[in-house]
Amino acid sequence: MRVILNTGRTIRQGSYVERKTSADYMEEAASLNMNRMDMFELAVEDGNHIRVRSDHGEVVMKARAVEGLIRGQVFVCLGPYANHLVGPETHGTGMPDFKTTQVTLEPTTDPVPTIRELMERCGGVGYED
Amino acid sequence: MKIEDVVCTFCGCLCDDLVVEVENNRVCSVENGCTLANEKFMRDHRLKNPIRRDGNGWKAVSYDEAIRETAEILLDADRPLLYGWSGTHGEAQSVGVHLAELIGGVIDNTSTVCHGPSIMAIQEVGHPGCTLGQVKNRADVIVYWGANPIDAHPRHMSRYTTYADGFFIENAFRDRKVIVADVRQTESSAIADEFLKIDRGGDYAALSALRAIVRGKGDLIPSRVAGVTREQLFRVAEICMKAKFGAIFFGLGLTMSPGKYKNIRNAIELTQELNRHTKFTISPMRGHWNVYGSNEVFTWITGYPYAIDFARGIAFYNPGETTSVDILMRGECDACLVVASDPGAHFPRACAEHLARIPTVQIDPHVNATTHLATLQIPVAVTGIDAEGTAYRMDGVPIRARKLFTGSYPNDQEILEKIFARVKEAKRS
Ligand code: SF4
Repeated sequence: MRVILNTGRTIRQGSYVERKTSADYMEEAASLNMNRMDMFELAVEDGNHIRVRSDHGEVVMKARAVEGLIRGQVFVCLGPYANHLVGPETHGTGMPDFKTTQVTLEPTTDPVPTIRELMERCGGVGYED
Repeated sequence: MKIEDVVCTFCGCLCDDLVVEVENNRVCSVENGCTLANEKFMRDHRLKNPIRRDGNGWKAVSYDEAIRETAEILLDADRPLLYGWSGTHGEAQSVGVHLAELIGGVIDNTSTVCHGPSIMAIQEVGHPGCTLGQVKNRADVIVYWGANPIDAHPRHMSRYTTYADGFFIENAFRDRKVIVADVRQTESSAIADEFLKIDRGGDYAALSALRAIVRGKGDLIPSRVAGVTREQLFRVAEICMKAKFGAIFFGLGLTMSPGKYKNIRNAIELTQELNRHTKFTISPMRGHWNVYGSNEVFTWITGYPYAIDFARGIAFYNPGETTSVDILMRGECDACLVVASDPGAHFPRACAEHLARIPTVQIDPHVNATTHLATLQIPVAVTGIDAEGTAYRMDGVPIRARKLFTGSYPNDQEILEKIFARVKEAKRS
């Protein structure tokens, strides 16, 4: 399924932003907020894993049904999961397209990576707090 | 010990009415703060000591070692990038600018990925803004465009707009009209008198339609613009024109969407049109508690608010070229000093990959995504908890954040001054 990824702040993301190693932060940052009908069509339920792919990367996230999103749009709070998909092009403004990334969704049973694993994929060395 | 009038150093509202109880160098209760403030003060969890990457692991190092190594990394680099700055006080930001000039580097702050486009628009057409006090006491119409204050600035509505009674607004909830424009429904849009639900990427068109109506060219408007009906656009324009004092607040829904700074320019020009009829102001909802301060400090020292390149020996500014995401995407910088922010989490992946390839030093109290990408991290005190310093509220009002207790961590300014002194010494010899 092809959809548009929007990102932004949420109160839970803000609450845990200074504790990025916490399970709470990971839960919020790796949640793929979706319209129920889109979930129905993909045959996934709350908490099921979804592989999200863009031209710039791919990452496994957890589906979460929310009100207020129209079909064809998904929302992920700003953070390392969303940014695994956002491209770096800024069109001469310094600002990437954080709110309009085309992505495809596919159900999977693969695990959701931790933030440490995501950063290791970027070439980093994980630090255990 | 109970401390009153404490400043919350989380979001750009910079609320200064918290009551905080401190015992044994720990905050044990917070009154008046929102959820974000409670989390910040009560669940503060820090990196204990400086750490350095060691092969495939990490080892603890002393502050002196970490400072020496940071100075060496910066001295060795041909094109260092100094990024972050919105989560520290003005005095530390100022040392950062001088350090960037000394090493001929690029210094950029987090507005590069939040309200940088707003600043670009303001540079083109000006900023008819005002303080939040004016809004609280006078505004009878509030517009939130591409902003969701209930999640991002939880007390904005209760301190300054929807729920805040003011000098000329006796019953705010009854007397103030609230208009929200957004591409999705949010908790903020749920309490609006008018919710303009805009098609993705349609902000520019919707703003243009409102401008046309306010200009008296309403007959040009088709039956729907960017998903909003003609009737609703006319209704909203009328509410705005009939206001005694209106205030527009806009968020990243405008700065990050297609059109970027042109969206903001259009919103500012709508504000100008409205001022032919009544008094209207417009202000960005600045995110981090001192991101506005980083623009102020950078500007008073260099003349530019962010993305300043000292490679030529003079301050040079060109968003799209000297902005951090572009520099990292091109793989241009060969060292990075990150202060009080987390580009590992908040920059596109391609940028995070470059940070992992080059020596990256992070000065930050917490373990975050950038920690895993860094070569070295130096933990510091948190301004507003165990460090003091000046911050600028989202409306440009400077507020002094106090220290609640004296802890064991050095503050950003002390660390940066030591790095600066070492670099200067090395350059002299
Ligand atoms: S609104 Fe912002 S500044 Fe005020 S208490 Fe909440 S997080 Fe702190």
